[in-house]
Order: sequence, then structure tokens, then C-alpha cells
Amino acid sequence: MAYRITTECNGCTACVRLCPTGAIAGERKVLHVINPSLCIECGACGRVCPQEAVQDAFGIACRRIPKLSLWPKPVVDAKICVSCRICIEGCPASCLAGRMDGSGKHEIAFLAEPKACISCGFCEADCPVEAIRLVVPQQPAVEVKPA
Amino acid sequence: MNKGYMGKILMVDLSRGEISEEVVPDNVYENYLSGLGLGAYILFNRIPAGADPLGPDNILGFLTGLLTGTGTFFSGRWMVAGKSPLTGCWGDANCGGNLSPAIKRCGYDGIFFKGISEKPVYLYVDSGRAELRDASSLWGRDAVETEETLLMEGGKGARVACIGQAGENRSLIAGICNDKGRLAARSGLGAVMGSKRLKALVVNGKRRIQPFNRHEIKRLSQSCNRWVQFQPPLFSGPALSRVGTLMRLLPTQMAQDGLLYKFFLKKWGTVSMNQVSIEIGDSPIKNWKGTNEDFGPGRSLTVNPDAITGREFVKYHCYGCPLGCGGKCSLPGQKGGETHKPEYETVLALGGLCMNEDADSIFHMNEMLNRAGMDTISAGGTVAFAMECYEKGILTKEDTGGLELTWGNAPAILALVDKMIRREGIGDLLADGTKVAAKKLGKGSEAFAMHVGGQEPAMHDGRNDPGFNVHYAVEATPGRHTIGAQLYYEMFQLWKEIKGIPRAKPLYSKDRKYLADHEKAVMAAVCSKYMNVANGAGLCMFGLLMGVTRTPLFAWLNAATGWRKTPGQYLDIGVRIQTLKQAFNIKHGVDPRSIRVADRMLGKPALPAGANKGRTTELETIRGEYWDQFGWDPETGVPDPEALERLGISTPETGTGR
Repeated sequence: MAYRITTECNGCTACVRLCPTGAIAGERKVLHVINPSLCIECGACGRVCPQEAVQDAFGIACRRIPKLSLWPKPVVDAKICVSCRICIEGCPASCLAGRMDGSGKHEIAFLAEPKACISCGFCEADCPVEAIRLVVPQQPAVEVKPA
Repeated sequence: MNKGYMGKILMVDLSRGEISEEVVPDNVYENYLSGLGLGAYILFNRIPAGADPLGPDNILGFLTGLLTGTGTFFSGRWMVAGKSPLTGCWGDANCGGNLSPAIKRCGYDGIFFKGISEKPVYLYVDSGRAELRDASSLWGRDAVETEETLLMEGGKGARVACIGQAGENRSLIAGICNDKGRLAARSGLGAVMGSKRLKALVVNGKRRIQPFNRHEIKRLSQSCNRWVQFQPPLFSGPALSRVGTLMRLLPTQMAQDGLLYKFFLKKWGTVSMNQVSIEIGDSPIKNWKGTNEDFGPGRSLTVNPDAITGREFVKYHCYGCPLGCGGKCSLPGQKGGETHKPEYETVLALGGLCMNEDADSIFHMNEMLNRAGMDTISAGGTVAFAMECYEKGILTKEDTGGLELTWGNAPAILALVDKMIRREGIGDLLADGTKVAAKKLGKGSEAFAMHVGGQEPAMHDGRNDPGFNVHYAVEATPGRHTIGAQLYYEMFQLWKEIKGIPRAKPLYSKDRKYLADHEKAVMAAVCSKYMNVANGAGLCMFGLLMGVTRTPLFAWLNAATGWRKTPGQYLDIGVRIQTLKQAFNIKHGVDPRSIRVADRMLGKPALPAGANKGRTTELETIRGEYWDQFGWDPETGVPDPEALERLGISTPETGTGR
């Protein structure tokens, strides 16, 4: 099962650049194609596509999340994490790592490279002890000027 | 596919520079699982009879477990298999770290190498490509330097397996290194890699591993984790040795629960057993001729668990492990220097076996051997052999290049290890292990060469637990300690899930332990079958020692694959894999009766003092009964054509099998 790109694609190459397995082929302004044998269904292409031209494995159109800052990111509960590295080694963007959390000699998983995260949710799905939740990062408060 | 395995292997012909992908049919996995089972299937069929282990016909396989990457705990072992140059038999070794999921995420359950490259190369594989790259600039460099360079070339998320100088020099006790100093050390497979001029394997897969029922795996993993995290406060490291002394003095033995061992592992790692093992007689002393009295608690205090972990600045976990027995330690006398926490085997092979109580030297030799990619067990065993030869006058100061190889002389041991790594002077003689060294040396030195079929045994004395001697002798890989023992049988607790196998008695007289009866053969066979399943699944033995109900291997396998096999059916797979490995040895002209355990290890003559005083192991009867448990000829250990036919194993005689 793999994702598919429809003819709505305008060839912007945003998905080509983001795909962690290099499964998407396509030049600028040419219809992009996903290689099903390489697609891991992470959904990054669907979240980034300005045309919403990506369908998931069930044929459902993916919703774009326009701002990258609104993409949900993993938050690790250090009290539950057992340092097993399943999330770190399973991350297609290699954006997780381990660090000492101060309470012991064991390294706890954390999001080391937030900008590289593609919000695939594999870490949340794979964590055997459910220590990871995907959360939309809190936006800084914006001052609203009176009209 | 969603069955936990990838269904493909990569075959690399180094002579031709060709790389091809092969699809493996589902029934192979159903019959042999993945990991070493799959490895045995491929290697048995494709290595021609009588192939030179260091020649182009030998095939070296890097294998991942069926459960690796499925969310199963303890599933981070990667395995390497080939025809062993050390023993001439089936050779395998395994190791933890983070390599296994990275191989599997390239889309392959195994990557196999045949042929010999003209120049040094390494293989780079990611999700969509595989290519051989020049490694001339890396040749001659140690494993840590090599890995650091290749991690930069391999890109984010890359993982590396490589050889150091020992593998390049085709030292027959060389292993294969990953995670900057962890070694798949046994069977001398690093020499096979060196003979192929294959410096490294770099994997950077991003594929997703899909089990059949991730939810069920999670449920099982969480239940397992509750046992792993259950950790009562423990006494100090030196006090632990008194537990060993007490166990030695008691006339009775309690069946041991692996949960207790887990407590120690989680707190200290494998070094927790250093002093306990010496005290109970599990660890051999002074090239197997000494006793616990020669290396008492006062002398071994320098390597007590607290002393070792005092240097540990971070604990690390292998992939998929909630326990974390590994650690990084600072290197004594070297600012900024670090080494992996030495393992129990390393400490005692370079410690008690050589009567060496200098812990600092052990830390340094650990790092030297890890970087060179040389097996610390075999290196320690070979140094001890050389020391006894020196004691007996077979080796002189002239032979050793000025080294005074007296027992416990730490600077001399360190210098000798360095010579072995560089194959310099006496080091060249010793770099291939005790069997080769004794053969070249002659003068009666064979009597001091402690090996089983060519391989130096681990620091587990069969005179204390005869199960170790049985497995050293009967396994297709002689001298391995990670398959079975009476102790492991008690800890696996398989009788809780499998009917008709003996239940360990909670308390028994020690005399019973040393009876070579039918029950011991049954227990040994069950251990072999179970560990074949575990090595197919890629599970760590330390996890399995908690017992089958707490580390639910069979239930995990069913959840990952969607099969509905019973534990008994899984053990049948274990029989098939064991038979295939035995048939591999037969195909390569190995007579199972010719694999001999050194007399001294069997207690012939028996030790006059110490924990193992007067104990001998009667191997002949138990070996025949063990073979019978697999349906092989109890006289010769050869699986007859009917047994092979029944298991669907193809040979030239039986035609094409499954």
C-alpha cells in the first residue's frame, strides 16, 4: 500500500524535497510520481502539498497543514520512557536522539531536530510503553491591535 | 505483507562487483524463521562442500531478527554467519547495538557476501540503492576510526559494521564490530570479512517494518516491561561475592529464577557476576587449572561490580531494550578516553584466567581489542595458554621478545595483546587462537590449549555446570556459551508453556547436577531448540533469561507474523534449524565425534581443591542422547536421510526440498 499523487499536482517539488525515503520523482512543473515500493506512508507529502494532490493508501485526499510550525511534534514523557531506542531507530527523518535527563544514567528519547521532524507519528505508534504523544507546538501569543 | 519480516535478501558478489536482490518465499520463514535460521538455509544450500573459509566460496551473511523493528522488546540482536575459519564448522556470532533495525529498514532480512574483492571495499545500502565503494583509505584503520569516518559519509541515521586490524590480518579470532567497539566476536568471522577485503557495511534504511498485529505486540511488551522495571534495592558489589561463597558452601542448589539475574544486570550489567562466578566455580582460573582459592575475593576485589561501574558515566541500551546493561566508561589514565564497559567475559578472560588483578589493564585491553576487532574471550584464552607455556618452559623470554609471561604480569599481558593485534613476533603465533598456536609450537603444548573444536570456550566452567560442557561439545558452533546450560534451562522456565519437558526442581542436591542422565540430554536439547527460535527472532538471551512467561517469545512471534503456531511447533522449527546446521557441518566433512572438549575442562584429571574439586563431566553418554533427541544417529551424530526428509531439508541425496 502506498500514497498516490493525482493530476492536481503542479510540480512544485515540495514533496520531493521532504520525502524521507526519496520515493517521489519529479521535475519542476512536471507531475510527480510516488514509487510504491519505497513509500512508507509517512504522509509528509500530503501535509506539505499546496494543491492537496496526494491521496493516502485508501484513496482519501490528504489535508495540507499550511504552516510548518503547526505540524504536530513528538513530546516524550521522561517518566514513562524506558530508553529502548525503538522511536529513535524507527524515525524516518532521524530527528530523535537520546540524552541524559538528569534523573539517572539512562538516556531518554527527545526531539533533537524539530525542524527535521515530518510529523509522521511513527514514534508515537511504535513506542511500546506509550511514552510519546504528538502535540501541535504552542504558538507564541500574538498581540492583537484594536481596530 | 505485514508479517514482521521483509521477504528479501541482498546477495553481493565481491569478485564480480555484482549486487542482486532476491525474494525469499514465505514458506522459508515459516520453516526457518529469519535471523540465523534464514542464514542456515541460505548458507547450507550455497556454500559448496569443503569450501575454504577464507576463500571466495565462503558466504558471509549479516542477518536481522524476525522480531526486529516490530516493537518487540529485546529484539536488537544482529547476527553474522559463515563457515568458521577457526573451527571449520558452522560459524555464527551475534551482537546488539543499533545495527539490526538499520539493516532491516533497507528492506532486507539479510545481506550476504561471496567472492573476494580485488581491492578493499565497503557496501553502502539505503532504502533504494546498494553500491560497493572504495575503502582503500580505511584499510589499516581501527574499527572506531573506520566507523566515525563512515558515519559521516553514510549520512544521517547511518549505522556501520566493520572490521579492525585483526580482521584485516585474518586473525582467526577476529570479530565484526558495530557501535564503536561492540563485537560479534565468536567463530572468527572477522577474518572471513577481511579475506573478502570487505572493510565495512554501511546501512541507512528508512523503510517501515510492519508486524501483523502491532497492538498485541505492544500489549505483550508492556507486560514484559513491568517485570523489567521491577527493581528492588540491592546490596553493594563486593557483598555480592559473599552470595557466591554461600552458594558454593551449600550442599544443595536452588533452581534459579532469571528475574534475580535481571536485577543484577540492570544495576551493574554482566560484570555483576565477576566475583560471584569465581566464588561458585563458574569462572575458570589460571588457564582452567586454578581454582577460586587461587583468585579469592580479596584478589578479585579490583574487578568487583562497583569498581567497574565506578568508571561508568552513562548507561546505554541496545535497540529495543528496556533494561540497558551496557555502559560507557572512562579510560584510566587517559584524559577524555572512553571505552565500552568491559563485559563479564572480557574481565575474567583477561583477569582471572591470566591471574591478572590489574583492573586498569583490563580496561585498556578491552579498548585495544574492541578497536582491533578481536574477540576478548579467545584473546584472553590464548594469553593464558601462552603463560602456561612460558611457565613450563615451552616458550622462553627469547620467544616472547623479552616479555616475562608470568601469571598476573599485567604489563606483559598488555604488551602481548598488542603484539597479537599487530601480528608481531610471538603475536603472530598467537593471533589465530590456541589450537593453531599449539599445533605450530608443538612440544606438548597441546595439553595447555583450552579449546573446543578450535574455539576458546567462554568463562563458564562445565565442571561447575556440566550443561556448558554439553553445549560446548554438541553445538554446530563448538565452544559457544550462549545457547544452553542447566542454569539457562532453569531460567528459561519453558515447562510453563510446553508440556512433557522436565520441570526444574526448586531445591536439589548438588550431586544430582553432575549425573549424566537422560534428563540432562532432554534439557540440553530443549535449550538448543529454544535458542534457535530466539536467534531466528533476533532476541537477546538476557531478556529470555527472565523466563518464557515474562519474555513471551512465542506470543510475540505469533503477533508479529499472524501465524497461530503453538510453542511446541516453534520448538519443531528449532529442531529443523539445528538439524540444518548439523547437516552443514556434515556436508563440510566435520565428524561430530571429532569435536572434543579439552580434557582439563572436563575435569580429567579432576581438580584437587576449590569449588569444583573432584568433579568430572561424562560427555559421551549425554552426547549420544542429545543427538537422539533430534532424531540423529546417536552413535555418530549424523542426521540420517529420513530425518532430513522429514524436516524438508534438501541434500544431494534427498533431492530438492522446501
